[in-house]
Amino acid sequence: MAAADSPSLALQRRDLCSRGIRLAGKMRSDVVELLDTYVERQGLDASVSVAGVEGVPVAAVERWDEQTGTQRVLENLAAYRAFRVLLAEMLEEQREQLGDTDTALGRALASVLLQVSAFTYHLEELLRLESLGLPSEEEESPPPLDPHLGLFERKLRGLRVLRELSQWAVRSARDLRQIAKHSPATSSAPSPAHSP
Amino acid sequence: DSHTQYERVGADVTMKCGSMDWGSSVTWTANGTDIDESHLNGSYLILKNVDLTQSGQYSCYEGSSWHLKYQTYLSVGLPPKEPVLMCRSNNYPKGFYCSWHLPSPTYIPNFFNISVIHGTREMVCEKDVFPKNRCHIRYLQLFSTVKYKVTLTVTNALGKNSTTVTFDEFTIVKPDPPESVVAKPVPNNPRRLEVSWQNPSSWPDPESFPLKFFLRYRPLILDQWQHVELSDGTSHTITDAYAGKEYIIQVAAKDNDIGTWSDWSVAVHATPWTEEPKHLTTEAQMTETTSASTSSFMPPPTTKICDKGAVVGSGAVAVCWTAGLVLAAYGVLFI
Repeated sequence: MAAADSPSLALQRRDLCSRGIRLAGKMRSDVVELLDTYVERQGLDASVSVAGVEGVPVAAVERWDEQTGTQRVLENLAAYRAFRVLLAEMLEEQREQLGDTDTALGRALASVLLQVSAFTYHLEELLRLESLGLPSEEEESPPPLDPHLGLFERKLRGLRVLRELSQWAVRSARDLRQIAKHSPATSSAPSPAHSP
Repeated sequence: DSHTQYERVGADVTMKCGSMDWGSSVTWTANGTDIDESHLNGSYLILKNVDLTQSGQYSCYEGSSWHLKYQTYLSVGLPPKEPVLMCRSNNYPKGFYCSWHLPSPTYIPNFFNISVIHGTREMVCEKDVFPKNRCHIRYLQLFSTVKYKVTLTVTNALGKNSTTVTFDEFTIVKPDPPESVVAKPVPNNPRRLEVSWQNPSSWPDPESFPLKFFLRYRPLILDQWQHVELSDGTSHTITDAYAGKEYIIQVAAKDNDIGTWSDWSVAVHATPWTEEPKHLTTEAQMTETTSASTSSFMPPPTTKICDKGAVVGSGAVAVCWTAGLVLAAYGVLFI
């Protein structure tokens, strides 16, 4: 992350990170619950493999501890922008299948979509704080949904979206803690309340 | 010609005396003791339905010359049952440990082989020197949805068995219990106890991967626990303790986001602060008054009964009061 000298900037960064961590935590627990609902309503086997499903941001990362703060924010931003598109598509598919989205699944999907949007905004704020340019959304958006994709393939894709989003929510909380911990201004900021 | 021969418990064993003919005259010994001829069929030794006690050194000697013609160590045992395999990460995000054991002994040497597959990748499990039934796998990726598949194969001379466990990265995360749990009374606060602890030393990075804690406490005289969950910090003040009662306190830990709770820490005991009995000065005055009026009666010193080192808490107060009343009664008699 770019070096920041102003204490107020440091506080803003720490505040954004703390709020982001809380948002990620809530998002994760809602996604885990949504996963159970999705599997049940879509008639899927919870252990079905989705390894072959493409076009979903994968949370798995090697050498995670070596990433810079900027890398972390940019990778998170790219992922959540993609999830925003994918979840909107899933919501649309619900509407097509059932005629409306005012079902438990539809409402849960909408709630998670809202949280993903909020988290995306959060990440954009973090980038703006560091005076880093926001990458263009067109470069990062996932490939449009193949109209010829069968119903079962769409369901598998939805499952992969939720599974990866659940992992991303955990990764994002960890990423934000690393950003807050390694921020150059934290040495001048008041020490955090908790200590090991 | 000496070697080890492995046989299953309950098997029938036939031993040939090397190259000696069936009709040759031979003597068999087990651990140096002659074996009765009833166990022989010609020069062959027949052991029916062998058991563990029949393990040992078997030797065959030519009848007349007593030349050693054959020797073997018979090791009676069992093929391995399905091993018990458990994998757990108490050092996330560094890696995880897998440990194993056999549900029942085989009585003969066993060899273990472990394979760890993550997706299409085979991972290395570094065996511990001690304990030797454990190995460590380093995470190459974090936040993966792909499951890990660990297969343990156990082989011995009598058979083979294996088991496989499959799990994902998050579900096996279980920290060790918190360490150095300390509970202290709070001066001038009869209902408080201050509890503090440390992160388990095996947890590599508590700052980036913070733990949350669960504290449980109860007075020794009651069975029901009180519980408190703490999302940060490594200390807590109990504010609703029963005055004067000894408490037992334990703490458990869990990663803030994933996995399961640790086992409970070692239990610590503590009793809240209690006020020193104020009536000690009153008793001293009563003792002086009693001594002044009678020269023959010498009451025992009340400070010993009320010594805090011997009795702590409300019990001490009750004993002191009793002593005071007795003294007062004697005083009244003699005035």
